[in-house]
Amino acid sequence: MNTRLAAAARCALWLASLGVLCACAWLRLDLQQPINTDILAALPAQQDSGALRIANQRSRDAFVNELLVLVSGADTKATREAAFAAWTALLHSGMHTENTGQSVQRLLAVYQAHHFAMLDPAQAARLSRGGARALATDVAVSLASPASLISSFDQDPGGYLSGFLGQLPQPYPGFLPDGPLFTALRHGQRDFLLRVDVGGSGFSQQGAALAVGAVNAAREAAHQTCRSCRFQATGAPLFADAARREAQSEALWLSVASTVLIMLLIAYVFRSFAPHLLAALQLVASVLAASAAVILCFGSIQILTLVFGTTLLGIAIDYAFLYFAEYWFGESAPPAVWRRVRPGLLLGLLTGVIAFAFLLLAGFPVLTQIAVFSVAGLLEAGLTVALIFPLGLRRNPRVAAHAAVRWPQQFIAVGCRATRWRYLLPALALLLAIPGWLRLQTSDDVRELQHLPAKLLQADAQLRSTLGQTPPPGFFLIAGANLQQALEREQALFAKLGAQWPSATELGLSRFLPSQAEQQASLAAWQSVLAAPAALQTAFRQLGLPAALTQRLESQWRRSSQQPLDAAQVFDAAPDLRWLVISTPGSVTLLATVTSQEALDPTSLEQTAAATPGTEFVQPLARIADTFHRIRMRATWLVIIGYFLICALLLWRYGRREALRMLFSPLLALAVTLGALGWLGEPLNIFVVVALILILGLGRDYSVFLREGGARQRSPALAVTLSAITMLFSFGLLAVSRIPALHAFGLATLIGILASYLSAPLSLPPVSRQRT
Amino acid sequence: MSLAARLLALLCAFAACGIAVAATPATPPALRLGFVETRTLPGFATPLISHGVLSVDPARSFRWEITAPYHYVFEMHGSEAQEQLPDGRVRRLDPGQAPWLAAVEQIFMGAVSGNVTQLQRYFELKIAPLAQGRRITLTPKPGALSQAITQIQVTETAPGHPRQIDIRETSGGGMQLRFTPIPPPPANP
Repeated sequence: MNTRLAAAARCALWLASLGVLCACAWLRLDLQQPINTDILAALPAQQDSGALRIANQRSRDAFVNELLVLVSGADTKATREAAFAAWTALLHSGMHTENTGQSVQRLLAVYQAHHFAMLDPAQAARLSRGGARALATDVAVSLASPASLISSFDQDPGGYLSGFLGQLPQPYPGFLPDGPLFTALRHGQRDFLLRVDVGGSGFSQQGAALAVGAVNAAREAAHQTCRSCRFQATGAPLFADAARREAQSEALWLSVASTVLIMLLIAYVFRSFAPHLLAALQLVASVLAASAAVILCFGSIQILTLVFGTTLLGIAIDYAFLYFAEYWFGESAPPAVWRRVRPGLLLGLLTGVIAFAFLLLAGFPVLTQIAVFSVAGLLEAGLTVALIFPLGLRRNPRVAAHAAVRWPQQFIAVGCRATRWRYLLPALALLLAIPGWLRLQTSDDVRELQHLPAKLLQADAQLRSTLGQTPPPGFFLIAGANLQQALEREQALFAKLGAQWPSATELGLSRFLPSQAEQQASLAAWQSVLAAPAALQTAFRQLGLPAALTQRLESQWRRSSQQPLDAAQVFDAAPDLRWLVISTPGSVTLLATVTSQEALDPTSLEQTAAATPGTEFVQPLARIADTFHRIRMRATWLVIIGYFLICALLLWRYGRREALRMLFSPLLALAVTLGALGWLGEPLNIFVVVALILILGLGRDYSVFLREGGARQRSPALAVTLSAITMLFSFGLLAVSRIPALHAFGLATLIGILASYLSAPLSLPPVSRQRT
Repeated sequence: MSLAARLLALLCAFAACGIAVAATPATPPALRLGFVETRTLPGFATPLISHGVLSVDPARSFRWEITAPYHYVFEMHGSEAQEQLPDGRVRRLDPGQAPWLAAVEQIFMGAVSGNVTQLQRYFELKIAPLAQGRRITLTPKPGALSQAITQIQVTETAPGHPRQIDIRETSGGGMQLRFTPIPPPPANP
């Protein structure tokens, strides 16, 4: 009866703790965004101004949602039809587009209505100085130039508006609009550019799959219409889909392989299905509790927390193996197993919790979350072992110790012999590792963590080369007390950029909306010239032009508003331009950038921005790299500090000599891993740091388990061996991954776990001394 | 940062009122022609008449000179272009900021050289034989160019020997160029 009550109480306690945690988390859960995939949210919140956050979001939205398609062919008519067929297919497949033609017509009408305000400062100064004669000369040039073939003389006799429009930035040099498309003729073939947006997020599974489907449909439609036409497509959604498919494919076979290997191992060693069930229960419960704890604290969970935290929780399998090894092959009877493993398990748990708890001090949201996740997960894993395992494993096991059970014990025993190899081998390993440390490189560039298909990369490079577009390294934020001040600052910035990089194209609102001061100067110049119509008539006559042009101009001037063009009119005509303006309380910030056919030096761009008041140059990729760098550095330091605390704990329990011996083994594994990575030319990145934390945790557990269990005991040696092998299957297999992030993590884990396991006997005293 | 590129792309490129950007034109034989340009402007009853010289040489040099009623020169060498203005100033043109440069050169080169294949890239062609020579009627293919030009007629005494070019614009205006062969300038010693 007592046993039944105890069993019920254990179950109730376990379920209640998990249930209450999950229920509280559910109440706190942000249903709009349960999993936060925004990596930049890893930045400390106080470092992002409101404008910067919005600018980042907008730039990312535009980047991740855009698809570019190029249809090329020798026959203009057939290529155009193929391009329109592709366009229709894209729209029918759920892609979105702006009506370029309508936007252009509306904006053109606005500029025509205000063309007297569109003189640039040099033109305005020339008209103000030269008066009627200067205007007549410009009109004559406008008529004489071969460009008069295509200019609208009656609307723009001086060609000033054409000049203003010609100065507008061209994101795709040489491409001009053709209805909803852009077109160019190059090297004897006609190119049609189609640009569409994925409705939702191009990085989401649904959005990326939609984009891939749309591109396939467009390719098919273009091919059906024109068999000889060439079809190319690029865009972040296509890369996202390819990367996800590759990751899924690798994850599938790696998980299947590791799961099968681990299940076979457990089945072979324990000859029972119970360890599978209990280990799975422990894993599910610990991930659930960890996620719930994070949601309870933060409302949602960062994707990085989920990935890294779940990985770190792999340590918890040690507790399960410690229990299983003692239950199946230890000296304790089933009811006494928990009592037997408790010291080692609790000490391992305590040291693990301390190590992870130090990450709470990191000051980075993601590290804080990982700390909460890991601590909660480890506690739940320990609780599951303590409360549930004794219930599931009550009968005496009937498995005799076989070879696979005996050799781990023999290995530990050999490793503990007081021979000179026990000192020489670690010393040799350290000596070999030292040159590797010196060769070790660090990398926080997220681009190096991805593996992108060569075919897509090639298509992207070809397409962007055809478009003459090199993606800019970042964007400018130009802040002012009001829009006019911001526009003037942007114009000043663009003037500096133009002087420094004449071939670059500046993109910003001021290119579409000259400042009020500039427009007022333009209007004043026209007013001064038209104030003397007789002089203007004379000037026209002297150049052989009709004097009636004067009346035409005067009439147009009278009909015009004679007011500067304002932002509202531009935004009404082209609503998308609003995205270049970020209004915050007390200030207006403009979003601008610069493109060039050659790569621009980000440092020079930063310096140019710094020399302009209220301006900064933002590099999103560099910011992410900086975030990863800071996470890596802080995590490293906090783990080191955590280790000092663990050292104190071990000193208290085992005394100085034994504590140092127990710490030596994991630190040796760490040193060897870093040296090997250096020799192999693998960079030290955030994934490797997570692997190192895992290695330290495992090594520490091995030391504690062996020390608590004793060198002569079978079960701790078996638990440590099984833990090492399962970890190698789970994480070491990732070393064969083609995805650099997973490969780096897997390789570091592979080397680290091997080193941890092989050096584990060093945490025990030499046998001769122990006997003494 | 592709946000701005995306937004600005929607709005930017009507700069040239819809002229296709050209590939490298076929090089016509050396040519030097005098011309009389009669320009009809909407709203003006009297056309504007100017005189000038058009010259093309095998080194891909294109020169358009107005000699009366004022002096103006447009020269294009490869991708570089410059203007000499009536007040004597010389102005360099940036092909990147003036996409019409290559297009205009393409049309003129194709028209004066009678390069039918080249012109077919941009226009639907109709060729009608005349008692002496032929008349080529060029209608812009659907797309950007058709927004500016309705039709171009090139009358030749023989292929590569243009006599007259008539351009009808969508604005209602037009331009007629009547060519007369003139001797080449004396070579520099």
